Amino acid sequence: MRFLPSFALLAGAASAASSWSFSDGAVEVTSKGSVSTSYIFADVQETVQLGQADRLKVSLTAKDGSKAKRPHQAFLMLKEKQTGLEAPYALTLKESGKGTVELTQKDLPIQLLTSTDPLEASLVIGSFGSTKGAVSHAFNVAILVDPNVPQPQYEAPLRYGKKPEIHHIFRDDPKSPPKIISLVFALAVVATVPLVLLGWAAMGANLDHAAKAVSGSASHILFFGSIVAMEGVYFLYYSGWKLFTVLPFMSIIGLVAFLSGSKALGEVQRRRLAGER
Amino acid sequence: MRSLLSLAVLAAASVVSAVSVTGNRLLVVLDDVAEKESYSKLFGSLADRGFDITYDTPRSEDLQLFHLGERTYDHIVFLPTKVKALGPKLTPQILLDFVNAAGNIMVALSATTPASTSTVAFLAELGISLPQERTGLVVDHFNYDTVSASEKHDTLVLHNSKPVRYDMWDVFSLRDDEFLALPHTVGHTLGAGELLTPILRAPSTAYSYNPKEQTEAVDPDDLFAAGQQLALASAFQARNSARVTVLGSAEMLQDKWFDTKVAVEGGSKVSTKNAEFAKTLTGWTFQELGVLRVEEIEHRLKDSNETNPEIYRIKNEVHYQISLSEYRWDAWVPFNANPNDPPQLEVSMLSPFHRLNLAPEEHSATDRTRTYSTDLILPDQHGIFNLRVNYKRPFYTYVDEKCTVSVRHMAHDEWPRSFVISGAWPWISGIGATVSGFVMFCAIWVYSKPAAPLVKKTQ
Amino acid sequence: MAVAQQNALLGPPSQSSRTLLRVVILLFIAGAAIASRLFSVIRFESIIHEFDPWFNFRATKYLVANGFYKFWDWFDDRTWHPLGRVTGGTLYPGLMVTSGVIYHILQALTIPIDIRNICVLLAPAFSGLTAFAAYLLTNEMTTSPSAGLLAAAFMGIAPGYISRSVAGSYDNEAIAIFLLVFTFYLWIKALKLGSMLWGALCALFYGYMVASWGGYAFITCILPLHAFVLICMGRYSRRLYVSYTTWYALGTLASMQIPFVGFLPVKTSEHMPALGIFGFLQLVGFIDYVRSAISGRQFQAFLITVLVATFGIGLAGLVALTSLGYIAPWGGRFYSLWDTGYAKVHIPIIASVSEHQPTAWPAFFFDLNILVWLLPAGIWLLYKELRDEHVFVITYALCGSYFAGVMVRLMLTLTPIVCVAAAIAASKLLDTYLVKSPSQTSTSEAGEKKAPKSADKTASPLGVSSMVSKLTIVGAMIVYLLMFVSHCTWVTSNAYSSPSVVLASRMPDGSQHIIDDYREAYQWLRQNTKEDAKIMSWWDYGYQIGGMADRPTLVDNNTWNNTHIATVGKAMSSREEVSYPIMRQHEVDYVLIVFGGLLGYSGDDINKFLWMVRIAEGIWPEEVKERDFFTARGEYRVDDGATDTMKNSLMYKMSYHNYQSMFPPGKAADRVRGVQLPSEGPVLNTIEEAYTTENWIIRIYKVKDLDNVGRDHFSAAAFDRGQKKKATKKRGPRVLRVD
Repeated sequence: MRFLPSFALLAGAASAASSWSFSDGAVEVTSKGSVSTSYIFADVQETVQLGQADRLKVSLTAKDGSKAKRPHQAFLMLKEKQTGLEAPYALTLKESGKGTVELTQKDLPIQLLTSTDPLEASLVIGSFGSTKGAVSHAFNVAILVDPNVPQPQYEAPLRYGKKPEIHHIFRDDPKSPPKIISLVFALAVVATVPLVLLGWAAMGANLDHAAKAVSGSASHILFFGSIVAMEGVYFLYYSGWKLFTVLPFMSIIGLVAFLSGSKALGEVQRRRLAGER
Repeated sequence: MRSLLSLAVLAAASVVSAVSVTGNRLLVVLDDVAEKESYSKLFGSLADRGFDITYDTPRSEDLQLFHLGERTYDHIVFLPTKVKALGPKLTPQILLDFVNAAGNIMVALSATTPASTSTVAFLAELGISLPQERTGLVVDHFNYDTVSASEKHDTLVLHNSKPVRYDMWDVFSLRDDEFLALPHTVGHTLGAGELLTPILRAPSTAYSYNPKEQTEAVDPDDLFAAGQQLALASAFQARNSARVTVLGSAEMLQDKWFDTKVAVEGGSKVSTKNAEFAKTLTGWTFQELGVLRVEEIEHRLKDSNETNPEIYRIKNEVHYQISLSEYRWDAWVPFNANPNDPPQLEVSMLSPFHRLNLAPEEHSATDRTRTYSTDLILPDQHGIFNLRVNYKRPFYTYVDEKCTVSVRHMAHDEWPRSFVISGAWPWISGIGATVSGFVMFCAIWVYSKPAAPLVKKTQ
Repeated sequence: MAVAQQNALLGPPSQSSRTLLRVVILLFIAGAAIASRLFSVIRFESIIHEFDPWFNFRATKYLVANGFYKFWDWFDDRTWHPLGRVTGGTLYPGLMVTSGVIYHILQALTIPIDIRNICVLLAPAFSGLTAFAAYLLTNEMTTSPSAGLLAAAFMGIAPGYISRSVAGSYDNEAIAIFLLVFTFYLWIKALKLGSMLWGALCALFYGYMVASWGGYAFITCILPLHAFVLICMGRYSRRLYVSYTTWYALGTLASMQIPFVGFLPVKTSEHMPALGIFGFLQLVGFIDYVRSAISGRQFQAFLITVLVATFGIGLAGLVALTSLGYIAPWGGRFYSLWDTGYAKVHIPIIASVSEHQPTAWPAFFFDLNILVWLLPAGIWLLYKELRDEHVFVITYALCGSYFAGVMVRLMLTLTPIVCVAAAIAASKLLDTYLVKSPSQTSTSEAGEKKAPKSADKTASPLGVSSMVSKLTIVGAMIVYLLMFVSHCTWVTSNAYSSPSVVLASRMPDGSQHIIDDYREAYQWLRQNTKEDAKIMSWWDYGYQIGGMADRPTLVDNNTWNNTHIATVGKAMSSREEVSYPIMRQHEVDYVLIVFGGLLGYSGDDINKFLWMVRIAEGIWPEEVKERDFFTARGEYRVDDGATDTMKNSLMYKMSYHNYQSMFPPGKAADRVRGVQLPSEGPVLNTIEEAYTTENWIIRIYKVKDLDNVGRDHFSAAAFDRGQKKKATKKRGPRVLRVD
C-alpha cells in the first residue's frame, strides 16, 4: 500500500483571506484477504468499490493556507445523489492536522447502504476564525452487494401526502347470447304448441262432450274457469303482484277448483264408466 | 364608568374570540419573570393578537397545568431555564397529558443554557432527540454571521426559501433575499415518525458539538449530528392536532435579534426576518394558522334528495361532498387545497376500493367554506364501507372523517326482469307453451269424445 | 286395541267413544310433551337459550318489525363486520315465518303476546304436533291402534327429541322434526294410495321442511333410497311411480323457491340421488310398459341394452358435469359423515363444534332409554310383514342409526323412527298379552275343545295366554314404561333444560345459585358502548352478542366465511404486535373472551383455543403454528411451563391479565386446568381491560387507539408505568430521517 502524495484543493479559494485545504488525501479499501486498492483523490473518475467485508480508509493532512494545522471540522460526507441524503463521518485529527477515518458497510445508514448509484464522497474542512472553510468532492463509492447475504430491507416511512388514485374494477355484467338466437329458440319452443295440438287432433282428440258437460251443471264451468284463472293469477304474480296479494286469490281459486273439480271429475268418471270416454 | 369597563371587557372578549381556535390562555415559563423584557416584542405581538399571557417560573408553587382535570392554559412557551428539571408541576408525564388534552407547547432552547431533563424526556417521547448531556452548539463555518460571530461562527444565518418537501405548505418559507439569524442554537434530530416535520434544517456543512469538551476538534465518536439531519426548528402535530414546536435558538426571539443586521461571508448586511418568523411560528403553534375545519359532509344518491342515508346498494351512483374551511389568524376562510394535492375520498372496506380526488366546486367570494365533491359508483361488493376523507398534510390540522354506510346486495325485485334479458326468452316461451298446453290438455281430457278407432276397439 | 281393552272395562266400546278416547289421549300426550319441556322456563325464566336461537330470535324480531319482504332482502350490517351478511338469502326462513304468522294471527285475535314468548314456546308447541304426526305415521304401519298412541307418547317425551325442543330452544329443529315426521307420514300415505293429492301434500310439507332446516337433505336422500330399495325388491308399482314423481317434481320446485337453496337441488351431489331415482323410475316405468307390449325374448335384450346404456350415459354425464363444475362434488360435511376423522383434518371449523363429534355409545341409552332395545324388536316385527311402508321404516332406521353414531346431533333424526318402531314392538307385546285376556281366560278355563286356533299354543301355564306370563310380561312392561317416563323426566330436567346463558350451581346448603355472567357482560356492552362498537370474540358468542348486547360482531355462529373466522383466530393466537393491526383494520373496539379459570367453567376460550389456532393455521400456516402452543413434550400448558408462543398470545394474556391480583402472591391457580399460574401476570399494551364480570367468566377488553404522539404502544405503556426510556442499541443499520 502506497500513499500517493500531492493534491491541490479546488479552485475558488483565490480570495485574499486564507482558506482551508488539505494534502496527502488518499483513500484505500482493504478487503478481507488483505487485498487493497488505493486511490488518490485526483483520480476521481474511478469509482471506489466497497464490498461487504471491506474497510474504507480516508486519510489526509489538513492545512490552513499552506501550514498543516488541525481544523475543528473535518468531515467526510457521503451523499446519496437521488434523495440528497447525507451522512457525515468526522475524521480523527492529530495536532499536526493529519486525519483519518475508517468505515465499513456497517457504518452506513440504511438508505445509503441500499443505494444503487455510487455515493458521492466529499470532504468538509472548516474551523473557527476567519480562515475560509472548504468543501471538495473527493471520490465516488459504489456499494457492492453480496447476493448470498440477506440484505437489510428499507421501507420508506409513512409521510403524509397525496396517495395514488384507485378505481375499483367492476366485474363484467352477465351477457346474453345474440338476440336472434334467443328469438329463434323461443319461436321453436312456441311452435311446439300447435304441433301438440295437431298431434292430438290426429289422434282424434276433440271437445265434443263440452256442450253436454257444461249444460249438465255449473261445476264444469267453474272447474275449467278456475284452472284458467289460476294461470291468470300466476301471470299477474309474474308481472307485478306481491306474494301476499296472490295468496288470497290462490286460496279462493284453489277452493273453487277443489269443490267444483270433485263434482266435475265425478261426472267425467261417470262418463268413463259409461264408456263414453 | 361601569359601562365603559364592560365595553372594554366586551372588546377584549371580541379580540379573544378572534385569536387562536383552541383558546387564548398562554403560559410562559422562564427562569425569571423579569427576563420577559428581553422578549417584549414577541410577547407584545402575542398580546396584540389577543393572548392572555401568564409568566411563571418552574419553581413557582401555584403553577398548575390542570385543575380538576381541565387544562388551565391552552398554550405554553418554554424559554430556557437554568434549573436541571422543571419540577413536579411540569413533569414529562404532565406535559404529555397537556398535549393529549389538546394543549400546544412551544419549546425554545438555547446553547447557553442546558435544556432541562424534563424537556429532554418530554421531547424524547415525541421522537425528538437533543444532544448528549443536554448541551450542544450548532456551528457552521460556511453560513455564519460575520457581524456578530466572526470568530465563533455560532450565529447561523439561514435563508429558508423552500419547504422541506416540494408539496408542503410553505408557511415558514422566506423570500430568497431574506435571512434568519439563529444565535447559540441547539440542534436536535428527529425520529422517523410521520407526526414530525422539520421547519428549519441546518445547512449541510453545519454540525453540532459540545463546546465544553470538544474545543479543539470534533470527536468522531461523539458527533451528535451534522448537515440536514440536524434540525434547528421542528414542528410536531399530535394525532389530536395538538402542536408542539421546538426552536433551537431562543435568543432569535429576543428583541435585539428582531432588527439586527446580519451578513454572511462576502455578503452585505441585511435585516433579519426573525420577527416575521417568530410570528408565524407562534401563530402556527398556537393554532392561529393551518387549522382546518370540516363544515359539512354530505353524501346522497345521485338523483335523490335524501342526504346521508345509512344504506346504499351495490353499484349505486353516489355524490359525495365535503366543505372545508381554514382558520387564518383571525377568521375562517375557504380552504383552498393545492390543486395538485386535493383531498381524496376513500371508499374502503378493509382496504380501499376507490380512492378519488375531490374536485373543488365553484364558489363565490363571500363563502367561508370551500366544497370539494365527487361522483362515484359504489363497488359491486356488499359490505360495510367507510366513505373516508383522510386529509393529513404537514402543518395542517388533521382531517379524518369517516362516514360508515352499508352497501347492500341487490334485493330480489331489483334485478332486471326476465323479459328484458334476451337470453331468457326461450325459457319464458317455454313456460307459456307449458301453460297453454296444460290448459288445452285439461280441456281435451275432460271434454274429449272417444276417437273413432278407439270406439271401434271398445265395441 | 289396548285402548279397546281399557274401554272394555267400562262397557262395550263404540266407534265414536273410541275416537273420543283417542283424541283425549292424544291431547294428554301433547300436554305431557309440552309440560315436560317447560322445566327451564319454570326454573329460570322465559329466555332464549344457547347460541343459534339468539340469532333466530333476532331474525324473527326483524321479520315482525319490518315485514316479510324486508326480511327476504335483509342485509345484516351488524354481523361479520365489515363484510356484512346477506342474511335474508342465507337462512332457512321457515322458523321465523312460522313464528311471525303465529304472532300476527294472535294479534289479529287481539291476544297481545310478546314475540319473545312465542319464540320461547314454539318448540314445545310443535312437539305436541310432532307427537300427533308420529301417531299418524305409526298408524300407517300397523293395524294396532295402540301402537300409534304409544308412538305419540314416546315421541312426546323421548329425550333425544327433547334435547332440541325445550322451551327457549328456538332453533330450526323445533319445527323441523314435526315436518320431518309429517312429511314421512304423507309420503307413506301417498305411496300406499298411489295418490297424486297426497304426493302433492307431501311435496308441500317437504317444501316447508326445506324452508325450515338444512336437514331436509335427509328426506331428499331417504325417499329416493326407499324407492330404490322397493324397485330392487321388485316392488315397482304405479303407486310408487305416481307418488314419487309427484313428490319429486313439486317438492324440488318448492325447495328451489327458498333463496338459500336456490339451484342447489339441481347442482349439488347431495341432491343427485333424488334426481337419479326420478330418472330411474321413468326408465322402469317405460320398461314396464314395453314389457306389456313385446315378447319376453326381445324384452330381455331390450332391457339389458336400455339399462346399460342409461346407466352408462347417466354416470358419464354426472362425472362430466361434476368435473366441469356444473355439479358441486360432495361437500366436506358429507365426507365427514363417512369418515369421522375427515373433518378434524380438513375442515376444523366443522370439527370444532361439539355437536358434530361422534356419539358416545351411552348417549344412545341416555337419549332413548328402553326404545333402544325395542327398536330391533320393532324392526323384526315389521320385517316379518314387510309391506312397502315397512321397508321405509327399516331403511330409515338403518340409515338413521348409522348417522346418529357418526354425529351427536343426528340423534335427532333417529329419534322419530325409533319411537315408531319401538311403539310397534311395545304395542305388539301388550296386544299379545292383554287383548285376548277376558275371552281367552274364559275359554282356557272352559277347556280346549272350543278354543280357537290361537289358544292352542297357550294351553300350558307358561304359555303366552296364561295368567302368570301375562302378569309378568305386562307388569314388566309397565315397570319399563314407568322407568322410561321417569328417566325422560330426569334427563330433561337435568341435562336439557339449562339455557346455557344462565348457569345454575348449588350452594353448600343445597340452594340454587344462579351465575349470570353472560347477561351481565352483554348488558354492560349494551349500556356502556357506542351503538356501533364492534366486538371481536370467538364465533361461538357472535349470535349472543348480536341478540343480547345488540352490537356488531366480527364473526358469529353462521360460519359462512372461514377466512374471516381464521382472521379472528389469528388475532387471538398471535402476539400483540401482530394482533393489533388486524384489530385496527377490522375496526374492533372491544374484545370479549370467556374465561372459566376462576369458577372452574370448562367451556372457556382457553380450552377452545386450539381450535382457533388450527383454523388460523389453515389459512396462515407460516404465521400460526399449532405446534408452537405445545411444549417440547407435547403438552398443552398454561402454567410456568407454557411455551413462549402461548404466553405471548393475545388470548392467554387476556385470560390471565390481572388474574394474579385475585390471589395471595404466588398462589394464583386456574381451576379449570387445575394448575398453578406463574406469579408474574402477563402485561397488555395494546388493549386495556374494560370490564370483567362477577365470576370472571366474561372479560371485555378495549382496543386502545393509536398513541396520540405517535409512539408504539409498548414504549407508551412503558412510559406510563414510569420506566425511563433506555437508549437501547438498535440492531441493524442506522436510519436517516427522510422528509
